[in-house]
Amino acid sequence: MPADDAIIALIQGGRAGEAFERLMPAYRRRVFGLAYSLLRDRGAAEDVAQEVFVKLWQALPRYDGRAQLSTWIYAITRNAAISAMRKRRRLVSMSDPLVFEEVESRSAIPSTEPEDPALWRQVEALPDKQRQAVTLYYQEERAVDEVAAMMGLPVNTVKTHLHRARASLATALRVAGMEVA
Amino acid sequence: MNSEDRLRRLLGGLDAAPGFEERVMRRVAALAAAPREDLRAQFERRRELTRRRLRRDAWMNGITLLGLSACASALLWRYAPEVQKLATDSMALMDPGLLIGGTLAAVGAALWFLIRQSRG
Repeated sequence: MPADDAIIALIQGGRAGEAFERLMPAYRRRVFGLAYSLLRDRGAAEDVAQEVFVKLWQALPRYDGRAQLSTWIYAITRNAAISAMRKRRRLVSMSDPLVFEEVESRSAIPSTEPEDPALWRQVEALPDKQRQAVTLYYQEERAVDEVAAMMGLPVNTVKTHLHRARASLATALRVAGMEVA
Repeated sequence: MNSEDRLRRLLGGLDAAPGFEERVMRRVAALAAAPREDLRAQFERRRELTRRRLRRDAWMNGITLLGLSACASALLWRYAPEVQKLATDSMALMDPGLLIGGTLAAVGAALWFLIRQSRG
């Protein structure tokens, strides 16, 4: 990615601050999308995305270029999102099981009403990996190999998840009488 | 509109709330302005917490291991004659070559595991 090359050149030139200023707009949607696809909660995804960028700001001067910049950022994001998920589960597991169910179901509701609630519900009902693949793929019309890099999975596995998700969605929408084409 | 277009419309706008970059920059600025002593104190506090957690985990592991060993010993004590008879009978039935082979394989596997652990 050309933007990555420029960012890496700045880091190697000892200008990590400038590199960070370029990195944030370039990766904001991807980091947020990845966090959201794992957490299914806008507020939590935003918290994680902020935390990721703060970590990147701290770690950027030490980035040695051994891993691809994007791979490195996605790994940090996945780890931060998984930690947030564990923390949430740990907090909730200490309380009533009914409260846990309530929190889990609430976290799947978007903070603003989606413009296509029927489709939203079908996407939310997909198995985790399929939902994640669909969210990342359609968020920014990404290439499958980039979605694979974001999810940390092989390209063919992501293709399979996407294929199955599309088939499930088409069937669900057809059954509900909402599919046009 | 087909489902592909609907998915694009539904998920295409997924982005952080406006002002995200400013919020991050504020956090970064606050972090940059924090005196070094604060960072050092934070680091020490986290290290102490980790040390305590590890110590607690070690105690818990020790207690679990002790409990399991006590249970195993009690069972062995209670069923000693049956265990001894079973072992003797099995040994008598077993082919000596198979017994030696099995022992060697078990020792080899244990050694391999230990070597791998020491390298990792």
